[in-house]
Amino acid sequence: MTNNDRTNPSLSRRDLLTTAATATGALVVGFWMPQRAPAQNAHPEGAVWAIESAVDEVNAWVVVAPDDSVTIRIAQTELGQGVWTSNAMMVCEELQCDWSKVSPQYASVNRDGREMAPAWTLEVMGKGATDPSGGGEPQFGSRERTGSSGIPNSLYRRMRTNAAASVRDGRYYLQLAGAEARERLLLAAAKAWGVPVEEVSSANSVITHAPTGRTTTYGQVALAAARTPHPNPERIRIKPPSEWKLMGTEQRNLDVPLKVTGKTVYGIDIKLPGMKWAAVKSCPVYGGKVKSYDFDRIRNQPGVISAIEFPMPDPALIRDRIFSGGVAVIADSWYQAKTALDKMPIAWDVPPQNAVRNTANMRAELMAAMDAPGTVRVNLGDCDRTFRNATRIVEATYSTPYLPRARMEPGNATVLVTNDRVDIWIGDQSPQETRFSASQITGIPERNVYLHMCHLGGGFGRNGNGPQAEQAIYIANQNRGTPIHLLWTREEDFISTTYRAMGVARLRAALDADGWPIALEVRTAMDEKAPGATACFDKVSRYYVPNYRFSTHTAAFHIPVGTRRGVGTPAHDFYRESFMDELAHAAGKDPYLYRRELIARTNLPYKADMIKALDTAAQMSGWGTPLPQGTARAIALEERGAESGGHATISAQVHTVAISRQGEVRLQRVDVAHEEGFGLVNPLSVRKQIEGQIVWFYNDAMHQQSNVTEGRIAENNFDTFLLSRIKEDPPQINITFFKTGHWLNGMGHDRCTSVQSGIADAIFQITGKRYRDLPFRNHDLTWI
Amino acid sequence: MPMDLTVNGARHSVDVAPETPLLWVIRDQLGLTGTKFSCGIAQCGACTLHIDGRPVRSCSVPVAAAVGKAVTTIEGLSPDGTHPVQLAWIELDVPQCGYCQSGMIMSVVALLNKRPDPTDAEIDTEITNACRCSTYHRIRKAIRLAASRISAGGRTL
Repeated sequence: MTNNDRTNPSLSRRDLLTTAATATGALVVGFWMPQRAPAQNAHPEGAVWAIESAVDEVNAWVVVAPDDSVTIRIAQTELGQGVWTSNAMMVCEELQCDWSKVSPQYASVNRDGREMAPAWTLEVMGKGATDPSGGGEPQFGSRERTGSSGIPNSLYRRMRTNAAASVRDGRYYLQLAGAEARERLLLAAAKAWGVPVEEVSSANSVITHAPTGRTTTYGQVALAAARTPHPNPERIRIKPPSEWKLMGTEQRNLDVPLKVTGKTVYGIDIKLPGMKWAAVKSCPVYGGKVKSYDFDRIRNQPGVISAIEFPMPDPALIRDRIFSGGVAVIADSWYQAKTALDKMPIAWDVPPQNAVRNTANMRAELMAAMDAPGTVRVNLGDCDRTFRNATRIVEATYSTPYLPRARMEPGNATVLVTNDRVDIWIGDQSPQETRFSASQITGIPERNVYLHMCHLGGGFGRNGNGPQAEQAIYIANQNRGTPIHLLWTREEDFISTTYRAMGVARLRAALDADGWPIALEVRTAMDEKAPGATACFDKVSRYYVPNYRFSTHTAAFHIPVGTRRGVGTPAHDFYRESFMDELAHAAGKDPYLYRRELIARTNLPYKADMIKALDTAAQMSGWGTPLPQGTARAIALEERGAESGGHATISAQVHTVAISRQGEVRLQRVDVAHEEGFGLVNPLSVRKQIEGQIVWFYNDAMHQQSNVTEGRIAENNFDTFLLSRIKEDPPQINITFFKTGHWLNGMGHDRCTSVQSGIADAIFQITGKRYRDLPFRNHDLTWI
Repeated sequence: MPMDLTVNGARHSVDVAPETPLLWVIRDQLGLTGTKFSCGIAQCGACTLHIDGRPVRSCSVPVAAAVGKAVTTIEGLSPDGTHPVQLAWIELDVPQCGYCQSGMIMSVVALLNKRPDPTDAEIDTEITNACRCSTYHRIRKAIRLAASRISAGGRTL
């Protein structure tokens, strides 16, 4: 239900019914809704949040209208990864409806808070990640619906968008949802025709009874199907890849047409009747709060309404992250609010122990932590003895900086709190958590919290869940009855986000006379709160080494840390693959063949897939053929889960890099050999993820760093925190997919991490200099 | 202070402080939200629109500078989303999150108006918008596709 006039909210079905009842004096039996504020009914053109369907749904994921149009409800958030399309494809594959008639719409977060999932979604079928006919190996974990991981038992199951898991964890129940709806539509048609359901079939929304040649459409039987429960849903099976027709084909993303006309509604675009804007400043030193502010100085500024101090967002609501307290200025327009806020004197109460922190003293503490015993995660063989007797030892210390995700859309949320209800308009990667936050902050029960979901202007690691929602809910709760649109400046976005933790690693290997490693000792150090602090290296070495010791070391820092296109993996991959290059060079061996041999010597379940990836990437790149002076190739393995025998994502890349004598780096070509497991849902989306992550990690390798100065993050806008432009995109990206015998782990992150080690090794090959700390822009890359 | 603006061919009278950035007048006063805010300091280009056909970063241009000139936003690029650049973007499935793409498309249209068949070097120099999803690979291909359509006598810009 859309409206061409963006400023005029259209009417929902409820209002039409209410309006009709009022106009005619008739009573709509069994249907009564209290009058709602105009803002609560707003539905601008381009909005795709949940609205009540005008016709009865077949099931919670599928609505078929009489004209055969199909609405598929999406419970993850579209933030550029293509979930809007791939989730719909998984439902549509089984539903067997006409793909051109599918419109995705966000699933209702409110309903998810009130209803439990159908029983047929609760168990996964099949024999795990290596069974092509099954549902894979979803990471059920906790079934607590407001928690931060696992797959809840509430209506839409997992509504989080994280861990590159939307396909991995959602595929089985999304396929089931499509299949359940299809079977009910077929049952309804069979019943209407008085024929056995086994005799009817469907394709492209058309149902056919072959013996008589009769046909009907989904739209014609949808109402009957909606009123006919499935008699034995536990018997529903999902299609294996061999039967896929839509899944596995390259489909353009369904959200793209609105994104090229500017009509997509992001959270920042929300405008509601009576809405006011909030600009905020938080204490830039984390853990701080407002000491004082002087509202009188800006009281008479144009449009200014009020100022309100807000406390540090409750860490219990945001996975224990410590941000800061701050102050908001509320005005008629955001620019007025921001301009006034900039003029308002604010004094901060800064925690002194945090204010003395800077990059140098934090890194020194991490380096010192590596000399302490740490926590031994694995200790295979006898490293100490092997190192004592070794004739050749290679040691290297690497470091990676703090890094934010820096998505393009600054944090924002629009919240209206009334006495019995909370409405939130937001792009959000954890709406179930936000629903819980709203109930905790306002005291209004979760069943009365409504999230109007918007697409996100980038994610890259739960940036949709900074404390923007919690700040906005707090401010709106103090201004009940008025919709408050909170929007961060870019500078504020850099303050109120979590960072990928700074890390250091020391790798030490003993080599035998032929140059093969006989012992490897790995120490990593990060903030103790960092996701990945314990996973920042392999518990099972991917490269054969008979003596292996890995320990983790920690320090306690105040920068709020979170995931960022991976959980420890990007830094880990830089350390591991750089060190493999260093060992190969020390051994005088080819870095491709060195890796290949060391993988071949292992007993890892997916070693054949890893070798296939290396072989394919090497062959694609013309590995070993001559290159001009100043140009070099580097290869690396990328994998996630290759040791487990469960879900995994395995690939290898060759980077061809040119460096001018003046030190200008150009990533010329990337050859990617990437497994597709049993099958990719939308290979086009996967290609786009690979293309994008190549440049993402080029940024990490060359440009990006966040330094801490006097306890605060120094780089707070795109003039100091640098982003690659089109001129740095590699002119050539070649991608080859190959099949393997397991389901994939995921595509949304830790792909293409090897750009980091690839450029490092190219720098070494061309200039003779080995740099081990990112980003390389800090270094002299010239050569003679 | 009331000012007259011409945006996408329509005249509007707005009453804002003259130093207000054009971006916020376009978004708040006129309700044209396709033009995006991201950095606020003319670095990223998400707010790119045209003034008299030239691409400008509207977060850093005062509204007063647009008085008496023709402003074009993504909403005014074509009546039905069928500008050759928009069609190329759809065909090659360029956007990911899409947030930067309004500004990106406006920068590309301005380039193609000036140089209908730009070299790679010209693309590198002229297209300085940032895309955090790094859709650049498809952007370059889509620029080529749009340019070929235009030079083959497709719709003129």
